[in-house]
Amino acid sequence: MKKTKLLKVPSRGLITISMVSLVLGFILAYSYSISSEDNEKNASNLSNFQEQEKYREKLVEQKERNKELTEEITDKQQKIRAFEHSFVESEESVEELVEEAEILRLLIGDIPSQGKGITVSLEDGAYNPSQENPNDYIVHESHVFKVINELKISGAEAISINGQRLHANSYIRCTGPVIVVDGKTFPAPFTIEAVGDPKVLLSSVNLGGGVVDQLTSDNIVVTVGEKDLITMPALREDDYS
Amino acid sequence: MWLPLLGLILGISLGLLTEIQIPEIYESYLSIAVLAALDTLFGGIRAHLQHVYDDKVFVSGFFFNIALAAALAFLGVHLGIDLYLAAIFAFGVRLFQNIAVIRRILLTKWSERKN
Repeated sequence: MKKTKLLKVPSRGLITISMVSLVLGFILAYSYSISSEDNEKNASNLSNFQEQEKYREKLVEQKERNKELTEEITDKQQKIRAFEHSFVESEESVEELVEEAEILRLLIGDIPSQGKGITVSLEDGAYNPSQENPNDYIVHESHVFKVINELKISGAEAISINGQRLHANSYIRCTGPVIVVDGKTFPAPFTIEAVGDPKVLLSSVNLGGGVVDQLTSDNIVVTVGEKDLITMPALREDDYS
Repeated sequence: MWLPLLGLILGISLGLLTEIQIPEIYESYLSIAVLAALDTLFGGIRAHLQHVYDDKVFVSGFFFNIALAAALAFLGVHLGIDLYLAAIFAFGVRLFQNIAVIRRILLTKWSERKN
């Protein structure tokens, strides 16, 4: 029955139905293809999203690592700065230390000393042995000490007694009329030479109530002189004892 | 008889081969259009089975419903109202009703033939 009816449909109706089915097929297929594309897109979006998530996590990790490293850098830089500061300070102190070392070397007689200076000679006073105590007239090691201490305090670079240069561990001993300096015996008169600024040394020695006055009052003949050039060699090992 | 089938196959192949990309917001129109086309198709089949089929009504209904559904969806998008839901609802209900009527008619015919 259906077949006969369909066959009876005129060609115009058949054409319209064909048109309708064409449009229907087109719409169906088109929407199908679009939705499948969408699904693909979604799937790729999903995988993209997962990848993005992965990369984001990596990024976060890297950022954290960067942060740690930056902190480390800051830490190190601060340390470096501290070092630099200490360098600056130590450079300043190095200069001071060099100067001090120079002074100390002069003190222990490691290096030769040369320059202007003064001489102080101490002589026993004239006395009459039968009348007076000779101890009041001869030069004692305490007098020598006084002179040497005064000179050192005044900034003498090097000091020698009768040509025997004094160093940090020098000793001066009194043995009757003579004194022993570092194991060498010297009789009076004693000539003490000091390298240093003559003006300062002279004025400090000649100070009122100072060394010269004290020694003079102890009946010692003190002669103070200025010298343009005093040369003291470096002490060698065998000079010490 | 073969002409509509040929048209259908041609339409499907055309649809599958088309590489035209439409913007994403217009995709809902397309789904509404599909629904409308299906609804009209089943309506036509029902009318045919009920012997009230009319060429003009079917063809005009087919294209007009598609256009109306698309227009509704378009309006809905631009008004911010999900009007395509109304189209989906209306067409869906009609689709089910048409299919139910077709089923009953076919069942009646089948039982008649059996007897």
